[in-house]
Amino acid sequence: MRLHKIWLFLVITLISILVLTACSSNTTKPASSNQAVSSPSPTPTASTVGTFTDDIGRTVEIKHYPQRIISLAPSNTEIAFALGLGDRIVGVTTYCNYPEEAKTREKIGGYSDVDMEKIVALQPDLVLASDIHKKEVVPALEKLGIPVLIIRPGSIEQIFKDLQTVGQVTGQTAQATSLVTSLQKRVDAVTAKTAGLAADRKPRVFYVTWHDPIYTAGGDTIIGDLIKRAGGVNLADDLSGYATMTLETVIERNPQVIIVMSSMGDQNTSFNYIKTEPRLQATEALKNDRVYIIDSDIFGRTTPRIVDGLEQLLGMVHPELK
Amino acid sequence: MAIDHKILASRKSGELADYARKSRIRLYSICGMVIAGVFLAVLALTVGSVRIPLGTVWSVLVAHLPFAGSAAGDVSATTEMILLGIRLPRILMAGIVGAALGVAGATYQGLFRNPLADPYLIGVAQGAALGAVTGFIIPWTILGIYFIPLFSFVGAVGAVAIVYLIARVGKTLPMTTLILAGVAVGSFLISITSYLTLIAGDKTHGILTWMMGRFSLSNWDQLKMVTPYILAGIGAILLYARPLNVMQLDEEQAQQLGINVEQTKLVLLIAATLITAAAVCFVGTIGFVGIIVPHAVRLVWGPDHRSLLPLSAISGAILLILADTASRTLMAPGEIPVGVITAFLGAPFFLFLLRRRKRAVF
Repeated sequence: MRLHKIWLFLVITLISILVLTACSSNTTKPASSNQAVSSPSPTPTASTVGTFTDDIGRTVEIKHYPQRIISLAPSNTEIAFALGLGDRIVGVTTYCNYPEEAKTREKIGGYSDVDMEKIVALQPDLVLASDIHKKEVVPALEKLGIPVLIIRPGSIEQIFKDLQTVGQVTGQTAQATSLVTSLQKRVDAVTAKTAGLAADRKPRVFYVTWHDPIYTAGGDTIIGDLIKRAGGVNLADDLSGYATMTLETVIERNPQVIIVMSSMGDQNTSFNYIKTEPRLQATEALKNDRVYIIDSDIFGRTTPRIVDGLEQLLGMVHPELK
Repeated sequence: MAIDHKILASRKSGELADYARKSRIRLYSICGMVIAGVFLAVLALTVGSVRIPLGTVWSVLVAHLPFAGSAAGDVSATTEMILLGIRLPRILMAGIVGAALGVAGATYQGLFRNPLADPYLIGVAQGAALGAVTGFIIPWTILGIYFIPLFSFVGAVGAVAIVYLIARVGKTLPMTTLILAGVAVGSFLISITSYLTLIAGDKTHGILTWMMGRFSLSNWDQLKMVTPYILAGIGAILLYARPLNVMQLDEEQAQQLGINVEQTKLVLLIAATLITAAAVCFVGTIGFVGIIVPHAVRLVWGPDHRSLLPLSAISGAILLILADTASRTLMAPGEIPVGVITAFLGAPFFLFLLRRRKRAVF
């Protein structure tokens, strides 16, 4: 009886070992064929494109202009499409919804939950990651020999710099330069209108990303920068990063314009809360009906569309200057 | 023989005197703590992003007392709004929630005769969290900002109801089965909640803050909704202090001493669940208060439920008022979720008590 059990155990162990090895040899296949694609056939135009530094200071060597690009963030997808790289993008996240065409690409998972197998199977020769990926995903991709650029701009200038970098890496330098030039012109047009404003003509602007508790954007954020450029004074200028602000502070500081970020899925809970909270009715913004809702995809992502956002913001903060 | 009688009689009168002394101490302690609580609440009204002098606070409070109807003189409308519209409901909410969690914790610990029991032991928090997360990610909304609290209340009560139905054996409710069923159902619910939180996209932040607990949006309407439940529940539990004492011996002995054990368990379970669900549905699952407050009270005043239950209510209220004051002032003009504060400041305080007394807690 006991001998019988031992036999059974051995057989099961043997079968599971066989099954497991079969599986693992299966998964290694795409990786090895990936190397076969990338190394022996470099693009004839350049033996090496160059060495680049990304937004967190990593240096990345690019041997040939990438033809199969995967984006791990909606903002990266927008940047790549804006540079005319749409045809070369083979994988995006489930959150990548702009431009419309991005939705048709293969999905490699969400933003924080990346499907490594899917990435490897798509055989990318460039991955555009974000800083959320630097601890786990990026080292894993590097180990597989896939070049990764981490893109995490913190200001309009840095968005422009990243557009140039991605342009150089992919051989789209001309597109990048003309895009940045036209974007810079639009930014300058806005700041030219607001530059000479006297301090008392700059309204106190309160930016709300979430209402429970109230989250706002501090002076050192890209939103803080946009408010300044649009001729407003950020109510949370003394805060750093995205931070909470107590309701009593908001009432005490008395915002003249409130701008609320839309929530995903069209609920707009935060906007409805701000509009209806009885304790905020005494603020100038609510008295004068100057509470606006803005698209979180435009203001929450660091992409060329941030310039659209700046122009919209000018219309809300200074409708008379638009 | 005669001497024996004498000794017995004197011992009896000694016990009676001791009993009278103990109930006097209990009464004084409760009154003292209530006064301390009110005093702290008034002090808490003065601090925040703007400092409001005690005199101003006093004049505004007195002017709004129901019987004195006079205006508060030269106090600005903004100051009055901050005091009465924001700080006062927030402080009262912290107090009532703290009282609920303190009493519920003491009740569960007594009911299960287990020092590790807290109000969340049999699924309240896990059910409330799943309800809240569901409310967060459902793309439509009714009832505006009462949508999530409603879901969380239903989730909390529903989870405990399921645990109860699973654990019931015939007409009895074995406490060990109840705990095990609670832990298993809780884990099951957590697995769903965790996954929903992960895929919630830009809602994740709101969900995490809810789970840590916060009083940032507390207002009079919320207070009006939860206070009746919590006061009624605490009242019901206080009536069962004596049976709860007897049940500490053994359920069988308690039964023989004339306690209706099953009825007592059911009433206490329902009341503790209701007050916990009402406490967490608006402010989130604040941890630590429910488990530590009863232990701290036991360390200071002893294990008698007639003092343990009311003093846990008052101490819970005081602890959460203090924690909320810290949460809105330490990082002003921002705030820290109150659940972080309760554990961060409360745990060292409890360890201090534990070291000083150096005796068995439970």
